[in-house]
Amino acid sequence: MSTSLASEIPWPPSVDDFFLPPIVEGTNPWFTKVTLLVWIAVAALIIFFLVTYREPKIVPTKRQWIAESIYGFVRNNVAKDLIGHDGIRFAPYLTTLFCFVLLTNLFGIVPGIQMSPNSHIAFPAILAIISWVLFNVVGIRQHGFAKYMKNSLIPPAPWFILPLLIPIEFVSTFVFRPFTLAVRLFANMFAGHMILLVFTLGGFVMLNSNAWLAPVSVVSWLMAIALTFLEAMVIVLQAYVFTVLTASYIQGALAEEH
Amino acid sequence: MVRRVMAGDQSPQPPAGGAGQGWVAISYLIAGIAVWGFIGWLVDQRFDLGGVPIGIGAVVGAAGGIYLIVRRLGV
Repeated sequence: MSTSLASEIPWPPSVDDFFLPPIVEGTNPWFTKVTLLVWIAVAALIIFFLVTYREPKIVPTKRQWIAESIYGFVRNNVAKDLIGHDGIRFAPYLTTLFCFVLLTNLFGIVPGIQMSPNSHIAFPAILAIISWVLFNVVGIRQHGFAKYMKNSLIPPAPWFILPLLIPIEFVSTFVFRPFTLAVRLFANMFAGHMILLVFTLGGFVMLNSNAWLAPVSVVSWLMAIALTFLEAMVIVLQAYVFTVLTASYIQGALAEEH
Repeated sequence: MVRRVMAGDQSPQPPAGGAGQGWVAISYLIAGIAVWGFIGWLVDQRFDLGGVPIGIGAVVGAAGGIYLIVRRLGV
């Protein structure tokens, strides 16, 4: 990593910026800020829903109202709208998924944290694998293995085109689905962090390099702030898309015929 | 823990979400091109035909993907 002039600013931003050192020097190298953030996210969600749903009232308190709004939103607007009445039994999973992705994404723009675990492919990959296993198990339970495979692999088409279509069906359902779920979330969070690094660090680089460029660095930082708001939108959108797609895959697995 | 709001509501299933269907369509198209493009590449590696089978595979795969979109998502 090169440094610009006298400054110690790491420039340009690189993939190395995503691999943080362990929190306590010389201890377990896996215990980094990212690890800690995942634990915090899990703990925060568990505590939040336990506290807000303890002694539920008919007339909800404010905290209970927030928790119920989140759950109600996923239950009605995602699970029920996409999967149908049957989908309500998946609402707890979808809500957990939505909240976890949203919260871990949100760490990417919280001042002082500004690092999302989802900008490492490992976390979106695990979430995608969970969703993949879920919709396959649901489909196999609903139809039995043979009929589920027939439903997902054999489209309604004349027999002579089937050899052309079956490989496409197989790859798009069993390979591309988990892959795109993971990569979509990861790439959005990775790129978001990278863009913020470029504009924030770039401001410092310009400030240090040349007196004429110093005023421009202010523009760079303003851009960083504006892009943080753009990121806020991306964060919510990606959490929503991940949940909606999982629901739509479950719906596809449950459907009699596609 | 869960309050069963409107538990008796048995409204008919609305059409699946537009975003989900859009991604399914895109994934068929790309999977078609990728799978048959890859098979074309394998054929090309085997018989050394100067890349022609890759192009044929990609076009045929795209056609297959579009056919699947029409059959699976079309009304």
